[in-house]
Amino acid sequence: MVADRPPFEDLYRAYLGRIYAYVRAQVASSADAEDITAQVFMNAYQAYARFEARNTTPAAWLFRIARNATLDHFRAHGRRERLRRTIEHQPVAEEDPSGVAEERIQYRALLGQVAQLPERQRDAISLRHSGLSFEEVGTLLKCSEDAAKMLYHRAVKALKEAVEKETA
Amino acid sequence: MSEPEDLELEGLQRQLDDAFETTRPRAGFEDELWTRMQARRPAVTRLRDAWMGLLQGIREVPAVPLAAVAAVLVVVLGAGVLVYSGLGRGGGAASTAAGRESAAGSAPLSASGAFGRLPSPVLTAGPAANTGSPQSVTAPSADYAGPVALTWAGKLVLNMASAPVFRYQEPSTNTADQFATSLGAILVSRPAGFLGSYQTTDLSVRVRGTIQSPASEPTFILLPMASVGAIDAAGGPADLALVFLAEHSLAPSWQYTSAAVVSGDVSKVTLLRQFGVTGYGYANLVDGRGEPYGIEVDLKGGLPTAATGPLPLNLDSAPYPTISADEAVRSALASAPAGGAGTGVPTATLTTAELVYTLVVAGDHSFYEPSILFSGTFTVSGTKYVKRVLVPAVDPSQRSS
Repeated sequence: MVADRPPFEDLYRAYLGRIYAYVRAQVASSADAEDITAQVFMNAYQAYARFEARNTTPAAWLFRIARNATLDHFRAHGRRERLRRTIEHQPVAEEDPSGVAEERIQYRALLGQVAQLPERQRDAISLRHSGLSFEEVGTLLKCSEDAAKMLYHRAVKALKEAVEKETA
Repeated sequence: MSEPEDLELEGLQRQLDDAFETTRPRAGFEDELWTRMQARRPAVTRLRDAWMGLLQGIREVPAVPLAAVAAVLVVVLGAGVLVYSGLGRGGGAASTAAGRESAAGSAPLSASGAFGRLPSPVLTAGPAANTGSPQSVTAPSADYAGPVALTWAGKLVLNMASAPVFRYQEPSTNTADQFATSLGAILVSRPAGFLGSYQTTDLSVRVRGTIQSPASEPTFILLPMASVGAIDAAGGPADLALVFLAEHSLAPSWQYTSAAVVSGDVSKVTLLRQFGVTGYGYANLVDGRGEPYGIEVDLKGGLPTAATGPLPLNLDSAPYPTISADEAVRSALASAPAGGAGTGVPTATLTTAELVYTLVVAGDHSFYEPSILFSGTFTVSGTKYVKRVLVPAVDPSQRSS
């Protein structure tokens, strides 16, 4: 084991909740979020022995895997559902009561609004509030740190407008 | 921006902080997932960890009587061997069946193993050397097409009476579609010779079934496009390739060793597939020429340009009796043409031998069967050549022909 690399279990325990929250902000159900989170850590576990932390932080590495897994999920399942919701003007699907019990309802609504944002805005907010620096957000979104800040602030404004529209 | 609006935005950001900090999976998910991840680790890793844990325990508890430690060691090693023998991943039903058969005692070595009599391998024949025993076939030696006499100057030890044979069912278009869906790819067409051609936003995916000759298992082919981003991993090409595969859920679930060929900013990484054999260790999967193979990833400037490898399929496994080391050597030498040395025919001295696995194609089900790969060299007109001979390791009594 490389000295500057923590045991994978430490990483797992430290980041599982954050990765789950990030994924949960993107998808419609806690079941999907669990599936994707499981895939993220399965993939990361397999690759971790060869991961070296010289050029990236473990957080940025994990969130990159999470972002790819989430995009893969949308490619596989999301397009049709999103199209249906757009056509029918439906909000994100309601969950079963056991899932609701895990999350505070006001925040669930807020995360639902985040999930409706365009992909890059959604990512900028989710990654930033999952604890990544703007530099790390920029790296993941393939833009500069300043561009990431700009994108994030626009995203927050767009979210505010969406929330206001919803509550009006 | 007005001050009230600033305050509203700050308030929203605080809510977002709170939302992300308090959104967590259901109770129990963390431990449940960790247990699943542990269960999916390669058996050898589990054994190693168990061994390390045991040693750690011994260091921490020096008062443990030596005899007790020895007893525990025996138990752990025994359990390790059992785990190790179950390396045929995905071998749910058949592995279990094989285990029952072994437990039955004399059953495995009777008329035929759990898969019945096995089809005989069709290995790549050497140009003029395939005149010997039908049980062994000489792989071609570089550019030398003439006959070669063989001698043996090595040492072959086979500490096992049986070895697992692995079997897969020929995948259907549905299997290929499921694989593509797992990558997030959508079916585009079913071109001739392929089970399907698929597309994601950044990948082109093709899947084909087994090929009879030269034998090749069901394979996926990824052609990443320009939009595939740089990989977040330090290290050499092998690390980049593995992270790329892991990011697409394609990291092999089987044991492998990696090899990389680098030329400028272009590199080819191969994850060479291996099969675990109790009493031997890991044996390479080789093609009919004796070359190991597995998943290949092409990289250019740190970006993946193509990847190809065996389609992930469930493998059943069953033990089959194997020939002895002496029989293997006799078969290898018998593959040389009649007449032998002394008639102008060069003589290759085989010096090494290893257990390998080769693909045997057979209809709805195909097999990975153990073979012995002999290697040696000979010289003709000042040029040195490598000679390889592949000898099927499963006892001839277990073969259908």
